Amino acid sequence: MDLQPGDAAEEIKRLQRCINDLVSLFSLPAMWSGGEPSQIVHSLLDALLRMLQLDLVYVRLRESGGRAPIEMVRFAQSQGQTAQGHEIGEVFKHWLGADPQEWPPVIRNPIGGRDISILPLGLGLRGEIGEIVVGSERADFPRQTERLILSVAANQASIGLQGARFLSEQKHVATELDRRVAQRTAELAAANEELRQEIADRKRAEEAFRRVEREARSIVDSALDAVVAMDSDGFITDWNKQAEEIFGWPRSEALGRRMSETIIPLQHRLSHERGLQRFFKTGEGPVLNNRIEITALRRDGDEFPVELTITPLKSGDSWTFSSFVRDISERRRAEEKLRESELKLRNTQAELAHVNRVMTMGELTASIAHEVNQPLSAIIASGDSCRAWLSNDPPNLDKARAAASRIIQAATQASEIVQRLRALFKKTTSMTAAVDMNAVIEDTISLVHHETELKKIFLRTELHAGVPSVSGDRVQLQQVILNLTMNGIESIAGQDHEPKRLMIRSMLSNTGELLVSVEDTGLGFEAEHADRLFAPFFTTKPQGIGMGLPICRSIIEAHGGRLWAAKNEPRGAVFHFALPVTAPTE
Amino acid sequence: MSDPNSIVFMVDDDPLVRDSVADLLHSAGFEVRTFGSATEFVQSKRPDLSACLILDVELPGLSGPDLQAELAHSGVEMPIIFLTGHGDIPMSVRAMKRGAVEFLTKPFRKQELLDAVQEALRRDSEGRLERSETSALRARLGTLTPREHQVLALVVTGLLNKQIAGQLGTTEETIKVHRGRVMSKMGAGSLAVLVRMAEKLKISAEPGILPK
Repeated sequence: MDLQPGDAAEEIKRLQRCINDLVSLFSLPAMWSGGEPSQIVHSLLDALLRMLQLDLVYVRLRESGGRAPIEMVRFAQSQGQTAQGHEIGEVFKHWLGADPQEWPPVIRNPIGGRDISILPLGLGLRGEIGEIVVGSERADFPRQTERLILSVAANQASIGLQGARFLSEQKHVATELDRRVAQRTAELAAANEELRQEIADRKRAEEAFRRVEREARSIVDSALDAVVAMDSDGFITDWNKQAEEIFGWPRSEALGRRMSETIIPLQHRLSHERGLQRFFKTGEGPVLNNRIEITALRRDGDEFPVELTITPLKSGDSWTFSSFVRDISERRRAEEKLRESELKLRNTQAELAHVNRVMTMGELTASIAHEVNQPLSAIIASGDSCRAWLSNDPPNLDKARAAASRIIQAATQASEIVQRLRALFKKTTSMTAAVDMNAVIEDTISLVHHETELKKIFLRTELHAGVPSVSGDRVQLQQVILNLTMNGIESIAGQDHEPKRLMIRSMLSNTGELLVSVEDTGLGFEAEHADRLFAPFFTTKPQGIGMGLPICRSIIEAHGGRLWAAKNEPRGAVFHFALPVTAPTE
Repeated sequence: MSDPNSIVFMVDDDPLVRDSVADLLHSAGFEVRTFGSATEFVQSKRPDLSACLILDVELPGLSGPDLQAELAHSGVEMPIIFLTGHGDIPMSVRAMKRGAVEFLTKPFRKQELLDAVQEALRRDSEGRLERSETSALRARLGTLTPREHQVLALVVTGLLNKQIAGQLGTTEETIKVHRGRVMSKMGAGSLAVLVRMAEKLKISAEPGILPK
């Protein structure tokens, strides 16, 4: 380069400026220290534009440390441009990243339409940080000083950016560390809280458990039942207040004693031991988990009835047997009393029924006398004729034999009648057997038919042939039929209406019950008396005591049946009863 | 022991009793016919012999007393012996009032029955005899003229001929003639006999012709 004197002064100035610029550039990294890469790039671009007459400065920083790439562009004021860094980057994209040597020295100004000379410079030793591209429309660009300043600027920027990058990485690491520390701290705090919670919960649970235990103890102690627990070896491990009272052993003494020797009577101890052994062997025990009644032993040697439930509980390898024992002496006594009073009631009822039967039979005296006297007169008459035939000369043996046969026949008949009557007169205890109701009705009719004949009552039966037998007391059931029939007869005899009809029916209901009805054309009853008919001492008869129907009802109900009354049309009453049958019909 | 011209009827629904009693009577020599019900008896054709009826009180349908009433109503005069298994007093009184011969309660003794039967048959024979006498008298009565009938009715009241003549508006002589005819037609030997005959025939003077 030729140096002219004028030029020399100019040159000196330029160099002077260049030196100043270089000094400024060297001071930049100090300014940039601690700054962000984007700030560094900003001030670099500003400085370059200020120092050199440039039309365009473009910087691209590669991505690093998780930071996005940065693209930035500055134009000379005169350019009046507002294009963004990435738009310019688009223009340079073919060369970006390539060796600066390969860049074309001149390209068309991407923003102005004129050619510009460009100078690409790498940032970092091998351009790993990024690139700076500077451009000027001047043809002499870049001059040597500009080249120097730009390469120094690129170096300084590399240093600054390297520092910033390093700082940023350091910051990142520190932040990450802080974050991790914070996270771990939070985790620890949470774990800590959890633990505290757990401890509190546990405390509460323990408290609750102790409370439950206390409550259980008080329940056990206040239980009506004695609670006695025994371990696998047969020793008492629990003994509540009730047990103290029932058995007479205080808890302190009872605990640790052998159970069998304490509360089991001698005669049951062996079977207790056997049962225990069997349970250990087979896991079965007929008395376990069942309510059983058994005899227990008090401290004073007294034996008494108890209700007992034993529940085996397994804890670990050993067994505990919890027993709930209830003293049922009182209950037994009450049951005994109840049984006695029931028996008394039954006896009274039976007596009443008997009185009723005897009274009814009293009303039937005429019929009964007739029934018995018929065969008796046949016997006497035939006896006389038999003797007469034998006294004939020669004796008429055929006739005598026939008479003797009649005697036997009539005597048999008489004995059957007496047999039938005796049951009704006897004070029998209740006997349950299969009873053929049709036969009972027929028997009853044989007792009353004479009565109905005397009173001109037309007695008819409609007995269903297939009715099954019922389970019950024949005498009592006959009494019901007899009472109802006699009531009907009396009711009919008490008035003058024709026809005088009494109808007895038996049938099988749809629901499989045996139905019997006694239907009369007598006085009937007022609707308002329907309920009172079965009340004791209600009677419309002058001689009646009003026990017939209540007795009938109690007999039928004792047989699991029902007895009721209804009006008969056009007049009279119908008494129905239904009884469960013993076996289904075929 | 018994009259071969008599028969005993018996109604009882119990065959054993019926056969036994019939056999007993049979062994005592009576002719017996038995029936199982009152209706059966009523509908039967019975021989015209001296007869009696042994009747059970308690019969199904038409009872013993019912049959008694029925027979009386239809003019059958047969002595009845009642049998009952359980006779009460009012019932037996009613039966006896209606002319029963006996009321026997079962079981009865043989002799009681035989006595009753004999008595009944005797009564029936008597009755029959009486009934045949009465019918003979009635036949004789039928031969009297209306005037003689009038005279008979007045004579048996004990009036004198003169009084009768006065009542009938005729002469004493005429009445004498009528009276003689009446005596001879009726076959009465004396006034006393004629009066008994009139009683049997239930003849009485017409009202208005009786002495005041």
